[in-house]
Amino acid sequence: MPDTVTTVPAGWALAAAAILGLLATFAAVLDGVFTARAAGAGPSGLTRPFGELARLMRQRRRTTVAADTLLWRIGSSGLLFMALMIVTVVPLGEWTLFDLDVGVIWFNAMDVLAWAFVWLTGWGANSVHSLVGGYRFLAHGLAYELPLMFALVAPAVAASSLNVGTVASAQADLWFVVWMPVAFLVYCTGVVAIAVWGPFTPALGSDIAGGVTAELSGADRLVFQGGRYALLAAGAAFAVPMFLGGGAGPVLPGWAWVLVKTVALLAVFVWLRRRLPAFRPDLFMEVGWLVLLPAVLVQDLLVAVVAAWRA
Amino acid sequence: MYSGAAAMALVASVAVAGLYGLHRLVALAPDALTVLPFQSGWRPEEHALSRYHVRWYLATLLFLAFDVEMLFMYPWAVVAAELGATAIVEMFLFLGAVFVAVLWAWREGALRWV
Amino acid sequence: MGLSDALAKYAVDQAHVLLVELPGHWLTRVAAEQHIRERGWLPVSTPANADVLAVCGTSGPEMTAVVARLWDQMPGPRARVEIDAPHLAAAFDRAEAELLDVGGQQDDSRSRAAVPDGEPHRDEHREVHHGGHHRGGHGGDGKGGDTDQVGRAQHAGMDHHEQGGQGGNDDHGGMDHSGMGHGGHGAREDQDGMERHEHDRQGGMSHGAMGHGGMGHGAMGHGGMGHGGMDHGAMGHGGMDMAPAGIPLAQGGEDRDGLEMDVLHLRMGPVLPHWPAGLVLRSSLQGDLIVDAEVTLVDARLPCDQGDVSYPDVHHRAARRCDNAAGLLALAGWDDAASRARRLRDRLLTDRDARKAAEGLARLHRRIKRAWLLRWSLRGVGLLTEADLARLGLPGHLRGDTCDRLLCMIERATADIAGPDGGSSGASDPVSIVKVCDLVRGLDIATARLVVASLDLDPLPAASEVAHA
Repeated sequence: MPDTVTTVPAGWALAAAAILGLLATFAAVLDGVFTARAAGAGPSGLTRPFGELARLMRQRRRTTVAADTLLWRIGSSGLLFMALMIVTVVPLGEWTLFDLDVGVIWFNAMDVLAWAFVWLTGWGANSVHSLVGGYRFLAHGLAYELPLMFALVAPAVAASSLNVGTVASAQADLWFVVWMPVAFLVYCTGVVAIAVWGPFTPALGSDIAGGVTAELSGADRLVFQGGRYALLAAGAAFAVPMFLGGGAGPVLPGWAWVLVKTVALLAVFVWLRRRLPAFRPDLFMEVGWLVLLPAVLVQDLLVAVVAAWRA
Repeated sequence: MYSGAAAMALVASVAVAGLYGLHRLVALAPDALTVLPFQSGWRPEEHALSRYHVRWYLATLLFLAFDVEMLFMYPWAVVAAELGATAIVEMFLFLGAVFVAVLWAWREGALRWV
Repeated sequence: MGLSDALAKYAVDQAHVLLVELPGHWLTRVAAEQHIRERGWLPVSTPANADVLAVCGTSGPEMTAVVARLWDQMPGPRARVEIDAPHLAAAFDRAEAELLDVGGQQDDSRSRAAVPDGEPHRDEHREVHHGGHHRGGHGGDGKGGDTDQVGRAQHAGMDHHEQGGQGGNDDHGGMDHSGMGHGGHGAREDQDGMERHEHDRQGGMSHGAMGHGGMGHGAMGHGGMGHGGMDHGAMGHGGMDMAPAGIPLAQGGEDRDGLEMDVLHLRMGPVLPHWPAGLVLRSSLQGDLIVDAEVTLVDARLPCDQGDVSYPDVHHRAARRCDNAAGLLALAGWDDAASRARRLRDRLLTDRDARKAAEGLARLHRRIKRAWLLRWSLRGVGLLTEADLARLGLPGHLRGDTCDRLLCMIERATADIAGPDGGSSGASDPVSIVKVCDLVRGLDIATARLVVASLDLDPLPAASEVAHA
């Protein structure tokens, strides 16, 4: 486990994007398999994402009457952009693309963009269903975002740094997930919510005919749905240096451990969607403010006390 | 140092643009079709773009207060361990005070709207 | 065109199907769902995401217009089939062949104008062109009368306290759309007409006033006829540019706190996932809150009461309960349990082993009972006490909240297959759909959808059956 990370030349951005693409594809395949298994009939679902890719590439794009097209397209392609920007600060073992002093804040800045992008996708279509979906996402955002921010603070306090590489190497003795499990769980909740995934799907709910996605077709739908998978993957990848010890692990090299941990967490995220009913935004608001927020604040306090005591 | 992020922004833009470009080539028709928004098969009675009534606006004010608080929290996180008890007590007294406001807002029904 | 063909082949392997269920054809819809799942296809909820439009049953004039509009909203490649149970596979094979026909799809795509079809004229032309139907048989007068009945029934117990102050706006007396010579504009004008009928008889009640400003504009868009005589001054708008693309902008109305907020009108149904076939709920929304609602049946002449729909046998009755439970679970966002309920439904319809079915039902019941997150999210939603049931004339099995009703669906299914002595659902009175608007008023869309799904409705009768009754 190296103490510092090396910044690789900018050209490696392409490789990082490719890895994120593969992780997103893995998530999509896994979701296809789970869905097919639950349905209990038909093909295995292994090829579902590829068929969906072909279908959407072939499908004509649509726009709606008097749509706010520019904002609509910015919204639907924004999620993919966010996900790619998040992985720039995630060290792959000892290499990173962007060794920012305040990498944790960088993640925070990127994840907040989801508010704009998901809402814009709902707004732009000039459709009631999409609009309602967009505002449902904002209502969720009000409840998950603060706990997520405070959850990100916990590893930073323990490592006395906002640099992602330093946070990862501060876990050489003990992974942060072990002694700050609440922060980890709240962080995972936040990631799932950003990706409009799992129990945070009311914005795309079938009660409002797909909500934010109700009017998307062709490439527009592809970038939006692909962006959701990419965000889920990027969130899982960012959890590795923050909570899961970064590249630490026996036998395998650091980069391999980062990938293994990412894949494992990503699989849990994908599986979770099937196990839980949706959190209605109006109910989750109270949970976010009165359960998650105080819980993660207490977690921060404990972490700060332990960190000060160790120093 | 920023070249990595800049390169990634470029990759992201090229990826999205490339996807749209490829779609133009292989899709049934390159241009977008203009249609009415879906409303269970009826014509929409008015444009959906309107002043949407967000009945959770009180929660947004609460959020704003806490969000500004976060600005202090990040720099504090870096030095909290070093400064020790003083820093911790000050920060959590502050957080506690803000959280009392949350409890008050909850009692007033700001977190419920349906 | 090697690439196009290869792409088409991959794409068609998992075509997405928008299923349109017509009243009285739920078994066809269920069979279609089963069939498309076996094909590896997927049912979807919007035309934007659909490749195949599958209509289960034969549509009446109103439904034909709805289907034509959905067909217009599909991006293409697209195929359209009318299905009925015995010939399912052949119909979907035909759809598949159509989707694979690259040339044909390109021709279809080229023939569609990529210009806004927002103008009512244009829209009508396109529908006539595609659907090949005629709106002439619509019978505007008869419809107006029918709707009045519903109007009376549903407004009898309505509480309009928030809106009382706006009575002055509701001056539609001098407007007469039908006299304005828009005969060619079929359904749209009919609807306007029927809504206005209601408001005329409601006098000072104004929940419609907000929306009706828009209608006035729609009429102006038809050629500016006679708007000199209409008084829109009270609504504070006056130019043609207030209706871009022929659709008016939302108008304000007071919300429950007395703030002026825009009101949107949304029709839920007839084509909406997990929604009772044939039911149309026209809701006035402020944000996502339903401030007012009216209910109608599509293509129905007598929307007030339906008789008991006969099921072929008790297994069908139990299967219907499972279908309703699956819809409610899907709306609650619990996909796994919804799939389970759907599989149970399919098993009840194909395999008549009562013991195995009872085991499956018991398992599902246990699973739902143990799901504390689901119970938390459904708790207290649409709570109906004994007194509420008596007041609204609803059957006893709807007592409790949505979670209780969900469990009750499974219990009723179990009772059905247990035999004639245990059968419960046959004994209860059918839920009159007019009650739906009383139940959803004041709820947000999410809970309203859950409440409607929890009513465990039997299939609404087909339009023809009602007409003959």
